[in-house]
Amino acid sequence: MSGFTQIVLHHYLAIGAILFSLGLIGFLTRRNLIILFLCTELMLQGVIITLLAFATFHGNLQGQAFVIFALVIAAAEASLALGLIVLLFRQKQTVDADAWRELRG
Amino acid sequence: MSSPLVPSLTLGLCILAGIGTFFLLPRAQKNVSLRAIGGGMVAVAGVAFVLAMIRWAVGLSGSEGGSGVGASYIYFWIFSILAVAGAARVVTHPQPVYSAIYFVLTVFATAGLFVLMAAEFLAAALIIIYAGAILVVYVFVIMLASEATEGGGIISKTVGKTSVLTDFDASSREPFWACLGGFTVMATMLFVIFDRAPTLLKAPAVEQIPQAIRDASNNLGPTTGGIQQLGVYMFTHQSIAVQVAGLILTLAMVGAIMIARKHIILTDIDGNISPAADASVGPMLDVDDNPHGVEVTGTQNPNQKEYPEL
Repeated sequence: MSGFTQIVLHHYLAIGAILFSLGLIGFLTRRNLIILFLCTELMLQGVIITLLAFATFHGNLQGQAFVIFALVIAAAEASLALGLIVLLFRQKQTVDADAWRELRG
Repeated sequence: MSSPLVPSLTLGLCILAGIGTFFLLPRAQKNVSLRAIGGGMVAVAGVAFVLAMIRWAVGLSGSEGGSGVGASYIYFWIFSILAVAGAARVVTHPQPVYSAIYFVLTVFATAGLFVLMAAEFLAAALIIIYAGAILVVYVFVIMLASEATEGGGIISKTVGKTSVLTDFDASSREPFWACLGGFTVMATMLFVIFDRAPTLLKAPAVEQIPQAIRDASNNLGPTTGGIQQLGVYMFTHQSIAVQVAGLILTLAMVGAIMIARKHIILTDIDGNISPAADASVGPMLDVDDNPHGVEVTGTQNPNQKEYPEL
C-alpha cells in the first residue's frame, strides 16, 4: 500500500493527466460555446499541476515562473474569448456552437 | 497534537449543533428560514468536527516523512478527489451556471494541491485570478448571453427541481467517440506516467522544499520565503518574459475593448433590418478615434459630461 501513503511525483502527474483528459472530453462534447471555453480552462488546470509537480521534483523555480505566465495567458485568452462569444451571440442570438455549422469546410 | 478536540472547542461545537438541531426540529408554524439556519449550523459544526478529526489523524503518525508532517498524504487524496469530482461535474452538468460553480470547486482543490507542494503564492494567485476574476466574468457572460427558453425548452427533472434547458445544453455532440478518444488519451498518459513506477523518487517533504529550491537555484542571494525566492528568480532570470507578459495583458485589454465597441445589425435573409432588433443594438459605426465623432452610446443622460476641448 505504499502507493497510497507515499506521495511522489507520479501522483501529481496522474492528477494533471486526469484533469486534462476530462477537459478534453468536455471540449469535444459540449455544444454551449461558453462551456466549451470553460473546458479549455480545465485543460489548462491539468497542465498547471503538471508544471508545478515537475518544478517541485527538480527543486527549482522555472516551473513556478511558467505557471505564472500560463495564468497570464489564461486571463488574456478568457477575456478575449468571452468578448468574441458576446459578439457571436449578438449575431445569431444563440450560444449554440452548431449555429455556426456553415463555417465547416 | 495529543487530543483531537480541546474541551472548549468540543463545548462550542456541541452548543452550535444543539442550537441548530433545535431550529431544525419540526414545529407548528412552518418557518422555512429558521430551519435553513438550523441546518446550516449543524452542517458547520459537522464540518468543523470532521476537519478536526482529519487534522488529528494527520498528526498522529509523526515519523512518516521524517520531519513530523505525519500522514499528510491524506490531504493530497482529499484535494485530488475534490478536483477530479469537480472536473467531472463541470463536464457533465447540463446547466452552464453549475458548470462554472463546479469549476470554482476544482480551482480551490488545485490551489490546495499547490499548497501541498509549498507554492503558496501560486495557490493564492490561482484563487485570485481564476476564481476571483475569470470565473466571475464567465458567470456574467453566461447570464448575459442566455437564450430565452419560454418557447418550449427541454424540461429536465432532477432531484427536487425541474429546470428548462435549451436544446444545445440538453444534448451533447458525439458522446461515444468523445469519451472513447478522451479516455484513450488518459489511459496512454497514465500508462506512460506509471511505467517507471519501480524507480519512484520520493518527493521531498513540504517543509524541505524551500530549502531544496534555495540549494538548487543558482545563488539568488539571501531570501526569506517562497514569494521572495520566486520574485528574485523571475526578475533576474525571466525579466524579459515578465515584460512580455505585461505586454500581452495590455494587448488583451485593448483587444477586448475594441471587440466590445462593435455593434451588429440584425438582418434577415433579404438584408432588411430585422424587426427583432432591440434597443441594445445600435447602428454599425465607423471606428473613428476622434472622441467627438463617436457617439456615446448607452446613456440618454443630458448631464453626461462631454469630452473636454483639446
